Amino acid sequence: MDKLKLSTANLIIIVSGAVMLIASFLPFNKFSTGSFNVGGVHVGGTITYNAWSSHYFLIATIPALLGIVMAAQVAVVAFASGVRLPETVLGFTWNQIHLVFAFQATIMMLAFLIQNTSPLDKGIGLFLMLLAAIALLVGAVLRMQEQPTGAI
Amino acid sequence: MADRQSPTPGEITIMAAGAVMIIFSFLHFAADRSAWGSHLFPIATLLPLYGVVMALQIALTKFASLNLPASVLGFTWEQVHLALGAMAALMALGWLVTDYGNKQIGMWFEILGGFALVVGAVLLQRERNTGAIG
Repeated sequence: MDKLKLSTANLIIIVSGAVMLIASFLPFNKFSTGSFNVGGVHVGGTITYNAWSSHYFLIATIPALLGIVMAAQVAVVAFASGVRLPETVLGFTWNQIHLVFAFQATIMMLAFLIQNTSPLDKGIGLFLMLLAAIALLVGAVLRMQEQPTGAI
Repeated sequence: MADRQSPTPGEITIMAAGAVMIIFSFLHFAADRSAWGSHLFPIATLLPLYGVVMALQIALTKFASLNLPASVLGFTWEQVHLALGAMAALMALGWLVTDYGNKQIGMWFEILGGFALVVGAVLLQRERNTGAIG
């Protein structure tokens, strides 16, 4: 049962990765107009676009994919007893990879937050993805501190 | 002046890519907007910024003999270049795949620059014998 014991950092990364995935299917941007009926025909309303929609895939999907990879790595190490991942990838430790991915996801989500999307409004998916990205960065920094490397 | 050696292919690739990316960031990226224009800033500006950071680090240490710390947050400079180069290439792939209307010359050169950065970073790893690649 030791395998089920996750550190705080790894728990944050798994939960944030899951939130990131779910949020990527929620409205990233939306366009709303007043809705009314004309001769029984409904006109107007809200059109939403998520991170997988045309015009958003792949650039807006990258933060979600990075979060999914981070959560998957933690889950595989914690729960897949038969699977052994290499200690390093291209000279990077897994802690470093988590830090790079989380930093990139956060930078991109901050950029999407600042971006002027008028006349589109920012949707709940974008805000949740931003929060998840920040949480991933916190998790990655905590991982560094849990296994002291002297880096942070 | 010991560092005044000729730049290596990896260093040239990164500096050239960074220079090209910052210049072309001011040309049309999509429709009639540059990477610094409204509706594209700052998400499209990240790519040239990554290129400039990488090129500046190489140029300053190579030609200005600037002494930087050996590592940053536990990353060697070769690792910083590889990480930034890989993320730049990922964003370049993102823009390449994304249906963002009419791709203009600025976007094409940002995409090419993004891929060139990761190539330069890989070459840098080999030239400096880090053992991480090849």
